[in-house]
Amino acid sequence: MHSNAFFLGKGGVGKTTLSAAFGLSLARSGKKVLVASLDPAHNLGDVYRTRLNDKPTAVEPNLDALEVDLAAWVQKYLDESRRELKTTYSYAGTLNLDSFFDIMKYSPGTEEYAVLWAIEHIHCDLAADYDVVVFDTPPTALSLRFLAMPAISNLWVAELAKLRERILDRRTSITRINPESAVAASCVDKDDDKVYGRLGSIRKRLSALQNLFSKESYVAVVINPDHLSVSEALRIQEELLKIDIPLSGLCVNKRGVSKADWSLDRKLSGIRAFDFDFLPGGLHEREDLRTIGTEALVADFLASGPKGRS
Amino acid sequence: MNKILRKVKRAWQIMGQVNRERAVGMLEFELKELENIFTLLILGGFVGMPSPPAPIAIELLPLLEREMAVMLNRSDFAQDPIGALMGILEVD
Repeated sequence: MHSNAFFLGKGGVGKTTLSAAFGLSLARSGKKVLVASLDPAHNLGDVYRTRLNDKPTAVEPNLDALEVDLAAWVQKYLDESRRELKTTYSYAGTLNLDSFFDIMKYSPGTEEYAVLWAIEHIHCDLAADYDVVVFDTPPTALSLRFLAMPAISNLWVAELAKLRERILDRRTSITRINPESAVAASCVDKDDDKVYGRLGSIRKRLSALQNLFSKESYVAVVINPDHLSVSEALRIQEELLKIDIPLSGLCVNKRGVSKADWSLDRKLSGIRAFDFDFLPGGLHEREDLRTIGTEALVADFLASGPKGRS
Repeated sequence: MNKILRKVKRAWQIMGQVNRERAVGMLEFELKELENIFTLLILGGFVGMPSPPAPIAIELLPLLEREMAVMLNRSDFAQDPIGALMGILEVD
């Protein structure tokens, strides 16, 4: 069995509902489950009829849930960086670091990193208390960006580390030839160089996240019986293949909601599909989630993973 | 006699040091270029160059005091890099 499950898909296809129903079903089968919503527009608490925050809250025995506060993660990170920078560049107070950091929260990549930090926190600090962590993700664009971020960032970090090695190599040569050189006062050894060390620790963190996404997670795409969500599922499949994240399941949600013609693309036919009927009466209570019928999906999840064991 | 010997020894040491400094001149030039490129790569995003995601740059920034000084220094003769290289090679 994998230790994580991610539900991806177009906005409005039913990711939150299926994540919640899947988590509930797993919890009632005896697994200790945490369902985490990564969507900035949360409604996991509405589905469970429980007020949630960014700490695990008990929904019922064996089932906890939380809603990640992405804005708080961005703020926390920027505050930490601001403190560290102020210590190093204390003489640069006139540069007005505060206004610079206020703008940083809108910088490309910051929101994706906030999702990664939140996942890392859940994986490192909370996951040990649970058998399974289920992630309800934001709509496709943000999800694909944060899933790809470890792989892309690691390419940069690898190149920067190579360049840093060359710098340290030159410093070593200069110091050997001329110990009186000003360069000798700077760091020449990989083990002592803080920049090289920091690059190594960033690389380690990103690799752990990449490993979590590609090897330790059951990734399911939720679609509706319509061409738009199928097209988006195809794009998700293509993008995930590029970063070595295999798709484990395809959840066809809201079957019967429309009589319009649709078909599943052949490229998706290799992925195990699970049908979920449209509920005309809607969901009013937590117990209504049981009517969704996630047994086959749960069984496939329990049989999944490197060793296929539960 | 001792005084003369000390002076000769000192002159010898100075000559050795001068030679060592000339020997590493080119390496130091290359090192500064590498440090400059390293800093430019990390901070390039702030001036529109391709760069790693901003959070990585922010994480490394507190450790780059020396490299930042080198980069600012290099920008002083950014208009004449060939001149700087010729200076190192002692080409008149």
